[in-house]
Amino acid sequence: MLVQRLFAAALLAACVGLALMAWPYQAPFSYEPVGPRAYPLLMLGLLAIALLYMLWRPTPLVHSEDEPPLDRHTLAKVGACTLLLLVFAGLFEPLGFILSSALIGIPMARLYGGKWLPSAVIVGAMSVLLYILFDRIMDVPLPLGVLSVLEN
Amino acid sequence: MDTLGYLGQGFGVALTPYNLATALAGTLIGTVVGLLPGLGPINGVALLIPIAFALGLPPESALILLAAVYLGCEYGGRISSILLNIPGEASTVMTTLDGYPMARQGLAGVALSLSAWSSFIGALIATCGMVLFAPLLAKWAIAFGPAEYFVLMVFAIVALAGMAGNRPLKTFIAALIGLFLSAVGIDANSGVYRFTGDSIHLADGIQFVVLVLGLFSVSEIFLLLEKTHHGHAAVKATGRMLFNFKEAASVAAVNLRCGLLGFVMGVLPGAGATLASAVAYMTEKRIAGQSGTFGQGDKRGLAAPETAIGASACGALVPMLTLGVPGSGTTAVMIGALTLYNITPGPLLFQQQPDIVWGLIASLFIANVMLVILNIPMIRIFTRILAVPNWALVPVIAIITAIGVYAVHATTFDLFLMVGIGIFGYILRKLDFPLSPLLLGFILGGLMEQNLRRALSISNGEVGILWGSPITFGVWVLIALMLLLPLLRLWRRRQLARRGAANA
Repeated sequence: MLVQRLFAAALLAACVGLALMAWPYQAPFSYEPVGPRAYPLLMLGLLAIALLYMLWRPTPLVHSEDEPPLDRHTLAKVGACTLLLLVFAGLFEPLGFILSSALIGIPMARLYGGKWLPSAVIVGAMSVLLYILFDRIMDVPLPLGVLSVLEN
Repeated sequence: MDTLGYLGQGFGVALTPYNLATALAGTLIGTVVGLLPGLGPINGVALLIPIAFALGLPPESALILLAAVYLGCEYGGRISSILLNIPGEASTVMTTLDGYPMARQGLAGVALSLSAWSSFIGALIATCGMVLFAPLLAKWAIAFGPAEYFVLMVFAIVALAGMAGNRPLKTFIAALIGLFLSAVGIDANSGVYRFTGDSIHLADGIQFVVLVLGLFSVSEIFLLLEKTHHGHAAVKATGRMLFNFKEAASVAAVNLRCGLLGFVMGVLPGAGATLASAVAYMTEKRIAGQSGTFGQGDKRGLAAPETAIGASACGALVPMLTLGVPGSGTTAVMIGALTLYNITPGPLLFQQQPDIVWGLIASLFIANVMLVILNIPMIRIFTRILAVPNWALVPVIAIITAIGVYAVHATTFDLFLMVGIGIFGYILRKLDFPLSPLLLGFILGGLMEQNLRRALSISNGEVGILWGSPITFGVWVLIALMLLLPLLRLWRRRQLARRGAANA
């Protein structure tokens, strides 16, 4: 209940912020009666009403049976996973696809309970394989990064 | 009978070797994607959009590929529900009820092929319905103006919340978030940058593929962290692989009933496969009465939801193709794919690009046949895929997702955005918000705003145009009914609770 109220309050605050952001949106000159401001404000308004109702009367959460409760351990893992994905996004271009995905994929496999050696082998092989499959065969350009020295 | 002529032309398109190979590849990819935890039809289709684009597939082949993947995913989800008792997605929950007991009785092969057959019949019925009704609907929809479209889209959103059952408010909030997010980026009419925060990367809005993959793939990756089981031991599919004639005949009536039901539910926006399969199962259970062994491996209990799912998956394509208004998450993704090809689905599509529409319809037939045939030799390979542990699977899913996102614009900004959206999606999921209304809202949002503004331009700011014509007025009445539906359900539940308390 508390979490839901907090979430609704946070979204409500975001709504107000976005509405303030939208307020000055005016077309310099316009031929139509409805400008660029009306639709976002309408949506934010409706959203705010719905959120206020949720703040007032949140519905209880229904948990499925196989869902373990969120404990500190899981939250730490989710945090670590987020961090890994962010590092992945940051290194994607500088290091290149193959190196960055191997670098991130191995700790990620560890996070899901893999052992060092099999994780390294599978993730390493997959990052090379996926690069060849997408970049070379399917024409989806991927950055080579540091490894571009090896080319030509 | 020019409909039949067009259908023939469609088969001409779909039966070219190139498109046949595309459909085959699509069904295979789709089955594997549907099998794997963490990937469903929505991310499967979304991942393939940039790839289809990069491969330079012509639009009709791309659409055939996506449709084949869509059907393949439904099929793959079935395998994990029958052999593992783990529904791949919400719609296959009903399949586990009788499918898993059948597999435990040593009838795994029969259960799989029978479910594929049922789904095929369902899809067949729905495709026939589509061939009959879609051109009619399209002809009627040509008369629609911007005001009618706007009201229709409001109806689609409201129907989503009205049909959602237990959590209409959360569905509504999710849809509104999606509707709002569609406004990010440059406004096409006035050139005003909205909510971009002066970032050049947001200038043309949030990329659709980024939103889908963030919401569905990344949040699923986080969810998988909670369940650290190491693969599953599937029930071995041994013995007879194919159902016999007697078994097929015993479920024929079920197939017919549930096929019709599924088609109708599929056409209605917001109802979709989940509701269709549940209603089909309950109805058949009631019809069977005492004679049924529902829940202990009754063949009818397996056939009913599967037929309904197959039928509604095809039925959902009707509003998408004729009106350009998607009714489910997956069809919303397909609309996104079509817009990438600069094709606007809608009534005119039937006239301007019959090749695409009828090629797609014909390829649905073909993909369904392929899935039935694939089932027999490939099932052992598919079951082996189920044993892949999460630690090997998840990093690969994460990497492929990143490729899909990067392929759109080749900027790392999109990768960061994807992670952000993924965290948001994870929080939404933990708080019981459904995600596909958000996606649907995102797709409908742009269309809705354009139509609203166009309508008001026509009337010079007079709001009355939105309910002036008989069509718009009728749709508003339907909207009001849909809004009353959750309240009615609530009242009924209270009534029941009171009666229960009185009896106790």
